[in-house]
Amino acid sequence: MSAGTLARGLLAWAVSTVLACAVLHRAFALRIDRDHPSAVVASVWAGGKVVARAVLDSKVDRAPALDAAMQAHPGAMRVDESIVGEGLLWVRPETVFSLSLVAGHDGLAATFDGRTEYLTPDDLLSLQVYEKGIAVPGLGFATGVDVPVVFAALSERFGVSALDLIERARFRRIRTVRSPHSLQAPRVTAETMTKGDVRAAAVAAAEFLARGVDADGKFRYMVDAPGNRTLSGYDWPRHAGATYFLAQMSALTGDPAIVQAALRAANRLRERGLTDCGDHRCVGSDAVTDLGSTALCVIAFVEVARSHLDTSYASIVPSLASFLRSQQRPDGEFMHLYDRNARRPLDVQFLYFSGEASLALSRAHSLLGDPRDLEAASRSLAYLVGPAWSFFGSRYYFGEEHWTCQAMDDLWDRAPDMGALDFCTRWSAFNRKLQLGGADSPFDADGAFGLGPLLVPRLTPAGSRTEAAIATLDAMRRAGLDAREQAALDRQIRRSLALLIRHQFLPGPVHLLADAEAVRGAVPGSEVDWQLRIDYTQHMGSALVRWLSIAKSE
Amino acid sequence: MLSRRAALVFGLSDFVTATLIVFGVFGALPARWAPVDSVAALLAASKAASSAMLLAAATRAARRGTPVGSTSASDRWAWRLARAGAGFALAVGLFLVSTLALTASWLSGVYGTVGRGGAVVLALAAALVLPYLVVLPAVQLCWFAPKSEVGARG
Repeated sequence: MSAGTLARGLLAWAVSTVLACAVLHRAFALRIDRDHPSAVVASVWAGGKVVARAVLDSKVDRAPALDAAMQAHPGAMRVDESIVGEGLLWVRPETVFSLSLVAGHDGLAATFDGRTEYLTPDDLLSLQVYEKGIAVPGLGFATGVDVPVVFAALSERFGVSALDLIERARFRRIRTVRSPHSLQAPRVTAETMTKGDVRAAAVAAAEFLARGVDADGKFRYMVDAPGNRTLSGYDWPRHAGATYFLAQMSALTGDPAIVQAALRAANRLRERGLTDCGDHRCVGSDAVTDLGSTALCVIAFVEVARSHLDTSYASIVPSLASFLRSQQRPDGEFMHLYDRNARRPLDVQFLYFSGEASLALSRAHSLLGDPRDLEAASRSLAYLVGPAWSFFGSRYYFGEEHWTCQAMDDLWDRAPDMGALDFCTRWSAFNRKLQLGGADSPFDADGAFGLGPLLVPRLTPAGSRTEAAIATLDAMRRAGLDAREQAALDRQIRRSLALLIRHQFLPGPVHLLADAEAVRGAVPGSEVDWQLRIDYTQHMGSALVRWLSIAKSE
Repeated sequence: MLSRRAALVFGLSDFVTATLIVFGVFGALPARWAPVDSVAALLAASKAASSAMLLAAATRAARRGTPVGSTSASDRWAWRLARAGAGFALAVGLFLVSTLALTASWLSGVYGTVGRGGAVVLALAAALVLPYLVVLPAVQLCWFAPKSEVGARG
């Protein structure tokens, strides 16, 4: 083949590829016309379920079936989803179908034997099928819709098998706009967010967690919001973290319900969580216990004691702090496991635990004044921002560990570490680069930290990283560092907090929830994942409390 | 015929390509999928074989003080294998780039805005594929063309 022939072939390939891309994009792109919806899917919802539905030409149209359902179900709500765009939808291969619906925004229309049924975004949210389709092993997330559940829902509607539908039905992607708009909470942004917004969100978060603490001090660890069902699972670190936040909010509000819930949760941790680890006390029940559980327990107990909810918890802290110190290596790093049978530490490391231990020891020192705790916390911090994060390229890459910078700020008055502050400033700047903007994805994601524009960002990273970012800003102010850097970090923090407040169930999409009051104040996993685990709300809540504390001092 | 220097450069570049394919597909991809794995294995094997034969031919030619392929039958086989490997790599590269571009077009059609993050990911993917599986094999095919006057290219 001559060079000229090859060049002509490559040119033809390039042109045909560009043309094919343009055609494909045009075929699948939606042409949105909000002013002229093609149809309105009007549904009457009661107890989180559709009890009547009609497809209307416009929102002002009435349907006797809808009126009857509204009368038959007190408290029912009519919600209209106007179809403002329709586009091509391939249901095979399954992967393509799964990725063809924008989570939370797109539904589908299926036409079979002349009859059309709609699975609207509200239907799919109610079924919780978004971001459940294709699991990505190793990275620990899933994306796309859960295709079998979608076909099961359609099969039920049409009364035919999924196979029949796949072979004979015609599918279209639909984009809808929901009304009434009163279902949407007022849109809080970085620019409009006030202290009142933040305080209200923090109080609602605490009230949600407090409502979930039973008489034995156990949290509703994980709740499926649409059905208000308690799911299985429990662990002590998250119990301790949620207890810590309730103690913070008890001090802030004095609300008896929150105070009592905090005390019940703390009592459960004290009575059922503590055990012996050699000569010390620690948290856990298995033969091998971990450092993180005990560290978070210390943080919770210190908060309970220093907020004067119950000062007797201060007497437990020394034995727990001594366990943390006993796990520390001479270089400052911690050994993260302890074998209770062999009565010896196991020198392995996991994410978060060292930072948690450093913060716990700092808090223990601030409460009790034992210089050994301060020395251990400072040594740990120096290790975490030094040898622990020293490799080729470490100036350009950071992890999601968010406790180190809280420890840095906590220690600032007693053992300031400029190296640690520099580390945290760079860590925050790195996160700022990762932070999604409003135009970076189709989701309401301004201020989020995601894995790219096509995946719905999880909300917890915004909460946890913002806790650390606020701590960094606090230390930067006290150190009198660059005002421009402070302003950039302040805006980064406000964007993340506004995001969290926007997605908090305040009250959220009440028509899709079986008991909206039960989950009011909770923070979901994401815009479309409405499982509510206690740490989702706790991280957001602790970030809000931190922000209020530094906003107060401004 | 091929100059010793060209044989050496292309032999080394084929070795780098084979190594990158092995690490990229069998080391970096989180799951195994036969269509991708088998094509990657064939591509890596052809590039590794081409690399070995070109480097051996360059060594023999250095000893003889003549261009590659001027006298030895095994040199000519090295040349033919390198051409075949380049052709295969170019075919795979064109298919891969087209598939990536069409997938990106489809995703941007479905999702609309993908922002700076999406653009960076696509640019990185293209940057990783284009040099090794499009540009290099295209240059090799030109260089290995039967009518080329290797001596003139030095």
